[in-house]
Amino acid sequence: MKKTLFLILFGILLQASGLQFEHNYKIALQKAKKQNKEVMMMYSASWCPECNYMKDIVFKNSKVSRYLQKHFILLGLDIQKDKLPKGFDYVGIPTFFFIGNGAKQIGKIIGGDKASRFLKKLKAIK
Amino acid sequence: MKKIVYILMLCANLLLAFSAKDLKLLKEDGDCPKCDLSYANLSGMDLTMSDFTDANLSHADLTNTLAHKADFSRADLSYAIFEKSNIKGAKFNDATLKNVNFFEARIWKGDFSNANIDKCNFDESALGSAIFKNNNLTNSTFKGTILYKTIYKKGVVGIPKN
Repeated sequence: MKKTLFLILFGILLQASGLQFEHNYKIALQKAKKQNKEVMMMYSASWCPECNYMKDIVFKNSKVSRYLQKHFILLGLDIQKDKLPKGFDYVGIPTFFFIGNGAKQIGKIIGGDKASRFLKKLKAIK
Repeated sequence: MKKIVYILMLCANLLLAFSAKDLKLLKEDGDCPKCDLSYANLSGMDLTMSDFTDANLSHADLTNTLAHKADFSRADLSYAIFEKSNIKGAKFNDATLKNVNFFEARIWKGDFSNANIDKCNFDESALGSAIFKNNNLTNSTFKGTILYKTIYKKGVVGIPKN
């Protein structure tokens, strides 16, 4: 009984700890292909408050988190460490690129937003 | 009679309108300090890093403008409209912000130090990491506003709860 309770609690904690981000573009594409999902590539920086708001608040929103997990492989690239893959451009961070079959960009969200509005934008893309 | 109406209309226009010369300057240089842009329609324009210090932008329409790091220090922005504008890192130091509409504006890292804020609409806007200092926020509205890590320095009255 104790073991079951522990496992349930552990599962809940894992879910609450946040979304898992891949940090390699090619691996993210491969995973997406295997799982029949699209890639959401977030281009951000640790010093950007809008990016941190997305990570600290919006991605912890249960509806947003569930939707992202269901439809996307998440890829996080850092403006200071990573170059954007060829064919993608940005004007500011955070920028969210949505990548479908054949590494084609199927959508883009510029800037962070409140959970409800971000979810609406996600649903408009997929 | 027609003449009188025409003269009255001309006078009203002279009293209300912005300076066409100043608007031309803004479009050419991207900067317009001390300009008269009252009642000007600047909606949808790219005003990134523009200098509007000491300018008169009262009743100006800046809906949907992109004005990252624009400087509105000491400007008169009474009744200006910034609805859905992206004004990240903009400076409003010592500016007059009476009845300004910031609805759904993105003002991350905006600096409102010493601005005279009165009856402004900040509803649904993003004020994350924005700086407030010596402001009275009691008469302004902050419904649904993002106040993530907003900085309140000394002299701020009526800090919004979120």
